[in-house]
Amino acid sequence: MVEEDSIRVVRCGGSELNFRRAVFSADSKYIFCVSGDFVKVYSTVTEECVHILHGHRNLVTGIQLNPNNHLQLYSCSLDGTIKLWDYIDGILIKTFIVGCKLHALFTLAQAEDSVFVIVNKEKPDIFQLVSVKLPKSSSQEVEAKELSFVLDYINQSPKCIAFGNEGVYVAAVREFYLSVYFFKKKTTSRFTLSSSRNKKHAKNNFTCVACHPTEDCIASGHMDGKIRLWRNFYDDKKYTYTCLHWHHDMVMDLAFSVTGTSLLSGGRESVLVEWRDATEKNKEFLPRLGATIEHISVSPAGDLFCTSHSDNKIIIIHRNLEASAVIQGLVKDRSIFTGLMIDPRTKALVLNGKPGHLQFYSLQSDKQLYNLDIIQQEYINDYGLIQIELTKAAFGCFGNWLATVEQRQEKETELELQMKLWMYNKKTQGFILNTKINMPHEDCITALCFCNAEKSEQPTLVTASKDGYFKVWILTDDSDIYKKAVGWTCDFVGSYHKYQATNCCFSEDGSLLAVSFEEIVTIWDSVTWELKCTFCQRAGKIRHLCFGRLTCSKYLLGATENGILCCWNLLSCALEWNAKLNVRVMEPDPNSENIAAISQSSVGSDLFVFKPSEPRPLYIQKGISREEVQWGVFVPRDVPESFTSEAYQWLNRSQFYFLTKSQSLLTFSTKSPEEKLTPTSKQLLAEESLPTTPFYFILGKHRQQQDEKLNETLENELVQLPLTENIPAISELLHTPAHVLPSASFLCSMFVNSLLLSKETKSAKEIPEDVDMEEEKESEDSDEENDFTEKVQDTSNTGLGEDIIHQLSKSEEKELRKFRKIDYGWIAAL
Amino acid sequence: MAAGGGGSCDPLAPAGVPCAFSPHSQAYFALASTDGHLRVWETANNRLHQEYVPSAHLSGTCTCLAWAPARLQAKESPQRKKRKSEAVGMSNQTDLLALGTAVGSILLYSTVKGELHSKLISGGHDNRVNCIQWHQDSGCLYSCSDDKHIVEWNVQTCKVKCKWKGDNSSVSSLCISPDGKMLLSAGRTIKLWVLETKEVYRHFTGHATPVSSLMFTTIRPPNESQPFDGITGLYFLSGAVHDRLLNVWQVRSENKEKSAVMSFTVTDEPVYIDLTLSENKEEPVKLAVVCRDGQVHLFEHILNGYCKKPLTSNCTIQIATPGKGKKSTPKPIPILAAGFCSDKMSLLLVYGSWFQPTIERVALNSREPHMCLVRDISNCWAPKVETAITKVRTPVMNSEAKVLVPGIPGHHAAIKPAPPQTEQVESKRKSGGNEVSIEERLGAMDIDTHKKGKEDLQTNSFPVLLTQGLESNDFEMLNKVLQTRNVNLIKKTVLRMPLHTVIPLLQELTKRLQGHPNSAVLMVQWLKCVLTVHASYLSTLPDLVPQLGTLYQLMESRVKTFQKLSHLHGKLILLITQVTASEKTKGATSPGQKAKLVYEEESSEEESDDEIADKDSEDNWDEDEEESESEKDEDVDEEEDEDAEGKDEENGEDRDTASEKELNGDSDLDPENESEEE
Repeated sequence: MVEEDSIRVVRCGGSELNFRRAVFSADSKYIFCVSGDFVKVYSTVTEECVHILHGHRNLVTGIQLNPNNHLQLYSCSLDGTIKLWDYIDGILIKTFIVGCKLHALFTLAQAEDSVFVIVNKEKPDIFQLVSVKLPKSSSQEVEAKELSFVLDYINQSPKCIAFGNEGVYVAAVREFYLSVYFFKKKTTSRFTLSSSRNKKHAKNNFTCVACHPTEDCIASGHMDGKIRLWRNFYDDKKYTYTCLHWHHDMVMDLAFSVTGTSLLSGGRESVLVEWRDATEKNKEFLPRLGATIEHISVSPAGDLFCTSHSDNKIIIIHRNLEASAVIQGLVKDRSIFTGLMIDPRTKALVLNGKPGHLQFYSLQSDKQLYNLDIIQQEYINDYGLIQIELTKAAFGCFGNWLATVEQRQEKETELELQMKLWMYNKKTQGFILNTKINMPHEDCITALCFCNAEKSEQPTLVTASKDGYFKVWILTDDSDIYKKAVGWTCDFVGSYHKYQATNCCFSEDGSLLAVSFEEIVTIWDSVTWELKCTFCQRAGKIRHLCFGRLTCSKYLLGATENGILCCWNLLSCALEWNAKLNVRVMEPDPNSENIAAISQSSVGSDLFVFKPSEPRPLYIQKGISREEVQWGVFVPRDVPESFTSEAYQWLNRSQFYFLTKSQSLLTFSTKSPEEKLTPTSKQLLAEESLPTTPFYFILGKHRQQQDEKLNETLENELVQLPLTENIPAISELLHTPAHVLPSASFLCSMFVNSLLLSKETKSAKEIPEDVDMEEEKESEDSDEENDFTEKVQDTSNTGLGEDIIHQLSKSEEKELRKFRKIDYGWIAAL
Repeated sequence: MAAGGGGSCDPLAPAGVPCAFSPHSQAYFALASTDGHLRVWETANNRLHQEYVPSAHLSGTCTCLAWAPARLQAKESPQRKKRKSEAVGMSNQTDLLALGTAVGSILLYSTVKGELHSKLISGGHDNRVNCIQWHQDSGCLYSCSDDKHIVEWNVQTCKVKCKWKGDNSSVSSLCISPDGKMLLSAGRTIKLWVLETKEVYRHFTGHATPVSSLMFTTIRPPNESQPFDGITGLYFLSGAVHDRLLNVWQVRSENKEKSAVMSFTVTDEPVYIDLTLSENKEEPVKLAVVCRDGQVHLFEHILNGYCKKPLTSNCTIQIATPGKGKKSTPKPIPILAAGFCSDKMSLLLVYGSWFQPTIERVALNSREPHMCLVRDISNCWAPKVETAITKVRTPVMNSEAKVLVPGIPGHHAAIKPAPPQTEQVESKRKSGGNEVSIEERLGAMDIDTHKKGKEDLQTNSFPVLLTQGLESNDFEMLNKVLQTRNVNLIKKTVLRMPLHTVIPLLQELTKRLQGHPNSAVLMVQWLKCVLTVHASYLSTLPDLVPQLGTLYQLMESRVKTFQKLSHLHGKLILLITQVTASEKTKGATSPGQKAKLVYEEESSEEESDDEIADKDSEDNWDEDEEESESEKDEDVDEEEDEDAEGKDEENGEDRDTASEKELNGDSDLDPENESEEE
């Protein structure tokens, strides 16, 4: 039984991943990135999200590994808290409440108990770098109010702050100057670029800064594409800088490799440049990364880099500049022209993706499937270039046809328009271009729709354009003596008094075509292409048009720009009802009569679900989003839900997704947050238990021994506490109900005795280790050995008396013999 | 002791390669191929998700694998920022995969982290693991092996919970009952165990060969009258090595009936079986069986009771290569696995090679008894490393695609012939029969050639060559005439050409105008000339609009960008031609288009008839050519009219029509074309 809570708006597709630099874990297995109010932990190998760390109440603005414990992660947020996480298990360890908005976070291994954050104190645009002392406390929530001021009047972006040379100084850039604060001397040096006084060449403002990990060297990126390497900056007079210039546009981010031998830079060119030895000659490139590089980060182990891109992806790159994995969210780089569509074949959501591509996004698994390259031209990312835009797309005939429209308009009169019709080839399981139409219309195409009636014998496509015509394209036989082929040709051109055609829409059975010409709706017979009738309400231009479905197929709905929603009856050719509603999105549900309309008001967007047959809405939800909703779509469910209450019935067969102006994809969910939260508590199903390998024996034990030796030398009187749970006396004392316990005096001696350490423990432990060492010499990669060692360890744990030691050695010998036998057998088998 | 990996050498080992779809949404397909690699594919985009090679992959190859049941993981996200804990979306995440090996160890692999999670060895099997089953909810794992034992594992601690002897021979297959309280095991016989006590509850006879698959097919008993104890009345299915029959058994309350209640027959040994559980009595069980011969058999039955005769499949699916050309024959592509999608109406098919399989979602149509899908997998062999990382697919854009540019027929709607009412009349006309006998026509032809020989002695024009070229459609001949740059020559040729070739010439010019721009420049001269000289003739044609529609559209689209310029140009031309016309026309007079036959109309009734016949003649101008100048009486009639107007007037009229056109804004001619714009 489905629990019926109130319907809530849920985000899917994730927030942007490229807001801040991604951070690698110490072993490069995981990568962390901020995503809205969460921190996401991805595996660098499989590109899968391992954990989502949620707990912040507002945008997370910075993450850093804990320099003192590389299994922990600090994050800061606009909600004024710094949180410490155990990222392996996805658990929140501690919360430090700072109290003011935190804009970035930095950690330093030298500053043990404090972290650095960027705050803005009094005025809204003046930011300060302060150090926050994190008090040691066992409680979950700690107040951390001890702020000490480091630098004032800095840039808000964390890219403009860098700590250098093991925390000796901090460099900050803003506009035309670089300031370096030395922690020991507590002085600030300020270097101003000479040309900044000359306003003509004022394109060399600083954009980002990075510090060499070991040397006194600061690299700064500039607006004009130059990278400056600053040295000798201890002296205000004698400082020098060298210039590296490859980028032709702004340097977006810089990063030094772990050893400092190379510098990485990236920008709008979508090329990662590696400057080796900080010289201009010695550089390597990784080109064609697809979108502007916004951030670069380097793993502490030094084997991986990663770049965050403006199209919401993170590319993980090997040290040898080879991309190894892509973590791709919903592409959010550009505006969405095509709207939301569903590919009938893959059931994926389709919308504009990378430039010139359609992205296919799986809603079930909430990740991108692939990008379909429609324009097939090398994308040159440069400021001021007018690109070919993919403006319209539609699927027809159960996914067998895809129509795309691309346009490029440099000037008012120079419109380049192209329509492509792709056929899905079942043999090769991919789209093949069937017909390419240059300039299908004289002006922009405003609407595109296929006739998706089930029994239409001939695929039909209608395009409506601002040039005042709508064209009907049909698939015809195009074969000649050389080949058998089909191709699309224009079948009919229609117009209505030179008005601009703004929308078109086929009725469910495909018998009628409705085309709106500004304020007028015209109905055409799809067999003879005769104008059947016109509707005109004089209520502004028609913005949306759709036919009713199933039992409501006799209705036609139109939403106008003046905020009127009209419903016409096609049988009586009269207005059935109208309502005052400023409709932004109107989408029919393919599986029911329902139509969803989203209206826009000054406070937010409201959802109305209604049937065309009655003007009373089935369901209203106010304030689904604060922003303007741009597109919406109903997605048929694979398995229908069974909501019984009337308010949710519209969600039974389809799910409604909508996209806001800031390109967050949202949907409606009926499950309560609590219900969803509970299973997360029982996170991992199984503990990790991997059998020990020979390497583990060599390395692991060795290290353990060293540690022990160290301990012995440091503290000779180290008391080894026995494990409490192994002592029966203690467990009896603790677990027996109070009312059946004997008197305390009786228990006392037993308890104290149990806590005493027997002297033999040590020797008992050392012997088996020696045996281990012996055994390693002959150890082979076989499973039997593992059994053996485990048994030895078991016995050594439990053994406390001297007599057991003897038994142990005997049993060991036995095992050893057995082991040898097995070992020989194994060799023989070879 | 280690028998070595190769399961294939054992004649009684199952034929397939261990593979499985991930539970719930079938997002992944895991496949442990014989080279010891575990590969996980994304089903939605057919992309290799990850590849893992167990360290002991050569000694202990993977013999079976099973996905862990999905566990829930929190996902995104609050959306309105100021509200408290908002919407945390959630999805089922499957990330653990259990692999059984030939040496008896079980590996748990995490597909999220891409690394080995844990290894279950101690106290487990010491021989080949045959089957692994996860318990739906208790977090236990059951495995059976050639060492005759069944082991219950606690996955949390990775320790053995219980180990018992399952059979006297090796235990080959396991299945957990829908309520999770019973376990089916197949060794020599099929046994149903009570999991709590590990006691045998029922025995079934089983198969002669090792059972390769066991599956419960229903979750509810067929008759709901008696209380349901969780197991009684349920059906389950078993398939065995080298056995072409799949047996269905029913768990009954009395312990007597041990034989199968029904069986399904397939064409070869079953390799992979998937089914949809029926949730109520009316819903049939759908079963997809992949056989070793690469076919999929689909069964759809409501299980209730006993059936002696083996049931045959409702639908068979095969896949074959297209077989290019006539020589190569289509080859079958083996289907490796098939799984039902969650909507139960479509099937995920895995086909091709084990190393690079293709995964496709196929909608099921239960009416067809046989489905043969033609698939071209030849380009699937090349490993696609780059696309795997960039996730970009490039659709094919080849030269075979049709290209439509403005002016090419098809870019704009074709201009339809006049309303169809004439057709009726036309047929009437045809039935009327020929009024002119063949003899008469031949006679007329003779006269004509004779006359022509006399008249056409001038060499500065090519009307005959042009006519012949148009009739025979000889490219060479037409090139010779049409590729001239001499304007005078063009004018003379156009003047002298027979009228019936005007339309064919225009069509030829249209074709050439659509071609290469260099040749199109020459054609413009011709076009201009034809249109100015023969405008009067053209305007008399009733079906001019459909005949020259494409030409009109072509011209319209080409001159659209400089409409005003063409207005001016047209007016200037008009002035110049009017000035020079009088002298020019004297020099080159058109040959007299003498009537060959004069037909005196007897009554005015046939007037409509005339027009139609005229149209007819233009449509079938080839025929007319054969008859040459022996025009039908109607034509003659028309020509006579023309003659009556007189030669002097002809040029004047030409100018009139031409100027009219130019005033209309384009150099095209017929006012009738305007009507189509409505």
